Order: sequence, then structure tokens, then C-alpha cells
Amino acid sequence: MAVPGASLVPILLLGLGTCLAASPSPKGVECILFNEEYMTCTWGSGQTLTANYSLYYWYENKLPVVECQQYLWDRSVRIGCRFEQSEIIQFQAFYVRVNASCNGQTLEIPSNRMELQNLVKPEAPVNLTIHNMSGNQLQLTWSSPYPKEQCLEHVVKYKSNKDTSWTNQEVKGVIFSFPSVDYEKYYTFYVRSKINNYCGNTQLWSEWSVPVFWGNNSTSKGSSGPERPRSPRRPRSVLTVSPRLVAGVAEEQLQWFWIHTVLIPIASCLLLLVLVVLLVRMERVWVIIMPRIPNPSKNFDDLFITHNGDFQVRWLPWLTTPLSWWQLPTPLTPLCPSRNGSESLKMLWRVSSPTTVKASAT
Amino acid sequence: MTAGPPPLPATPPPRTMSHAFFRSIFRVLPLLLVLSPVNSSSCTMGNKTTEIRVKYENILSHDIEELVNMSAEYRDRCCKNKRHEHNKVFFCNDTQEIGSLQSMACNMLRFFNKQKINKEFRRKAALVSCGTLQVLQCKCERHKKEKVCTQVNAPNNEDTETVEQPKKKCNQEFCELKENISSLRSCWNKFEKIISR
Repeated sequence: MAVPGASLVPILLLGLGTCLAASPSPKGVECILFNEEYMTCTWGSGQTLTANYSLYYWYENKLPVVECQQYLWDRSVRIGCRFEQSEIIQFQAFYVRVNASCNGQTLEIPSNRMELQNLVKPEAPVNLTIHNMSGNQLQLTWSSPYPKEQCLEHVVKYKSNKDTSWTNQEVKGVIFSFPSVDYEKYYTFYVRSKINNYCGNTQLWSEWSVPVFWGNNSTSKGSSGPERPRSPRRPRSVLTVSPRLVAGVAEEQLQWFWIHTVLIPIASCLLLLVLVVLLVRMERVWVIIMPRIPNPSKNFDDLFITHNGDFQVRWLPWLTTPLSWWQLPTPLTPLCPSRNGSESLKMLWRVSSPTTVKASAT
Repeated sequence: MTAGPPPLPATPPPRTMSHAFFRSIFRVLPLLLVLSPVNSSSCTMGNKTTEIRVKYENILSHDIEELVNMSAEYRDRCCKNKRHEHNKVFFCNDTQEIGSLQSMACNMLRFFNKQKINKEFRRKAALVSCGTLQVLQCKCERHKKEKVCTQVNAPNNEDTETVEQPKKKCNQEFCELKENISSLRSCWNKFEKIISR
């Protein structure tokens, strides 16, 4: 947004020489009145400006034209002017003129008419304090370094550790009531200020204040020790503001939140997927887990076809060590009788189905 | 020998001249008191700053904001060169804010009948002027201007008429009215800041 007073610069490069032509012209004069204590009017930075600049100012009904008493420098180049409180008059038209000179040639850069009461930027609120009220209600109060509090309007920005976005609430006084608070959550509050429409016409907000926190700050879900009995009437809370409590604490909590809810589950799923893939790919492991059921039906295909599946296989008696079924001779080959004369050991093969074979000894 | 009347003096005696002098002064003095400009404000709410603040913040400031927004809708590129920098009506003098507001409000009332300005715009301007005068309990020098306030505050019987298109042509009166509005708003800001803690 263009600050009131910044003007488009009528650049007249023709006939001004190489000095001014090589030096980029200032974009315009921007004035800000900081808390009505001092004012700065700037027109650029040392990186872009190289000419010699001078600022003159005057008020509508008060001549003469006065040169700036305290210039702001950047890399040996004048980039602005600082006005003390005694040099500031509000509610009177204010004009500045910046002269850019180089090698004896001068270019005037005028500004628009300004009203300084519309260029006030108050300081950030301080002393943020939270009070516990009845009925699960919180009350946030603060104070402002700006002398006239009734000329200010404020915005409170807050969210809990369970929220994903900030909530902004406009407030006219210095008290903000939070109607229904959750004692399981951890809240963060910021405040900033602006001159209201009763006393001026400005869009310059102050910087955000130092934050204040409130609530239950337990970040780990699986705590090793037993949880303390929760008393809704006496929550653990941080009521005071320390200047050392910066927004980095809130950011650290946000990082832990992402680690626990996103990163760890994804990593676990990936690990499980890898294990399953390895399990399927390694056949030795797969065979142990899922052993194959023997199927000798293919070796007896001819017998199945010839005898329609109705045939028996006899085991010869002198064989003391049992043989596997695939070591048996052909069923019609005669063998020597047993030594001990015991009853023959027979292994009967019964065909129960074309695919399964059962062996029994009598 | 008879004595004649004494010769008349060539010039009247000094005592007669002084009588004439004082008579003339005493005649003129009451006239001067009646015709004296309103340097001393004729507003009666001067000391009731709390009441003024309440009425300004709760009611009048919103109308002023609407008027300013309405004024910003109209192009004012042609008005930049027509600024009345030396017009005392637009000055908000230190320690005389109420008088300045009165002066601005009374001056703004005269635009109500300017046909070259958009009707709704000048009606709103008159409304703000009347509101200012009412909050500060002021009167204008020319009493006929209060008739405008009566007319403005009366129920608007012309709502059924078609909305007049805003005048696109820039004119002197339009520029002066915009400047008057801006000065009035700034002066109210200044006054509010002074009476606020």
C-alpha cells in the first residue's frame, strides 16, 4: 500500500548529465511518525542511490522552508531525514522537497501534501497479562506506550496447539475476553495497535507484541509415568510474560507435532512394506513359512490312467530302512524275502485322489 | 444706548464637540456589538467534552466516514491544482477547534443547493454539517442555513425517484466541497485527540 505522501517522481533525465542518469531516482519520500516521538522520511537505500541528496520541509501556514537538521546515512549516501518531536506539527499540511545534486546539476523531487497525524505508527503493546475468570473464561489485558490510549484500536491474534491457523479479533479497549477456554490446550496470544478513525486516518499497524502463553503444555502422548490427576479448576498455566519467551518455543512444539503425527507413521508403513517385499522375494524364507505339500501324483500318471486309480504298491520285507516313495522300485519287480522271517512289511499305497497319495504300513 | 446679543462664536465650544463625539460612539457601539463577527464561538457545548466525545464516536464519526468514502469515489485529479491553501475556512486553529468546526460546518451547508454536484453527495455533506452543529450546539451566522438542516433531517420523500448519476465533470464547487470535507474530518480528529486521555 502506498504511504500517503509518496509521490511518483517526474524523472527528467534529458540534459542532466551522466551522473544523475546513472543514479536511479528515488521512488518517493516515505514518512513515518513513530509513536509521535520522532519521524523519519526516507527516499531510498545506499545500494541504489549515489547522488547527493538534500531535504527541505515546510508547513502550510509556517514558513520559511527549513533544511533537515539530522540526515540518515547509508554507505555514505543520504537516504533520509530524522525529525525530532519539536519539529513535528500534526494537523497541518506538511511538504518536503528532496534535491538530488550531482556535478553541479540539481533535480528537485517534490512530495505530495502530507498530514502527519495520518502517518503515526504506535509502539507495540506491552505487559500482556492473562487473568483467570469464572466460567472457563480468560481475560487478556495489556498497556500501550502510546500516550493516548483512547485513540488506539487493537487486534488480538491467538491460537492453540491444536489449531492450524491464527484467529484475529478486533478490540477497542485494552481488555480481551476469551469466552470458553479448553484446559487441555496450550494457547498463544499476540496483540498489535493502530490509530483509530476517531483520531486519524492511517493504515500503519504497530509491530506484534511479545507473546503470552496459557494452558497445558504436555506435548508427549505416551508418558512413562502415571498422569497427574487433572483438576479442571487448577490448570497448570503460565500467567506471566517473560521477555525471553519468544516465538521459537511455539515453533519447537509445532515441529514435535509434525514428527509424531506424520513422520513416524509414514516411516513405519514404509518399513513394513519393505519387510513384506523381502519376505516374498526370499524363497528360502517363504518355503519355511509356507511349506509346499508333496504331490506324487505325477509319477503315477500311467498307473492312474491304466487302472483308473485302483492299484496297490507292496513294500518288500527285508528292507529295514524305510525308503521314500520316490526310491521304490517299480511295483512289478520281485525282490528277495526278509531275513528274520517276520511278516512282510508291506507298504500299501492307496490312491485316495488323483493328487494325493497315502502310505500305510502293517 | 442699547446692548445687542453677544456675537456667535465662530466655532462651537469644545464641550459640545465632546458631547457629539460620545453620542456618536454610543450609537455605534451597540451596532458594533450586534454586527461583530463570531470570533467568540456561539456554541454552547464547549465544556461538555465527554458528551461531545460520546456523540462523535457513536454517531457522527460513522457519517463522516461514509462521506469521506463517498468523496473518494469521485475523481479528484482535476482538483489538485485548485487547492484553496489560503482559505481560512479550512484551518483548524489551535485552541479554537470548536470554532473552526463550526465555521467549516456552516460553510459546507451552502453546497446543499449547488446543482452541479451530485445530489446524494451534497445531501450527505449537509447531513454531516448539521450533525456537527448539533453535537457542538452551534449556530451559523446566517440563520437561513438552519433551514437546510430542517430540510435535510426531514423524511426523504424523494427516495422513489431514480438515482441521479454522479456528475463526472469536475467543477470548482465540487473541489471546494471535497476540501471542506477533508478539513472537517481532520479538525474532528484533532479535537478528539485533544479531549481524549
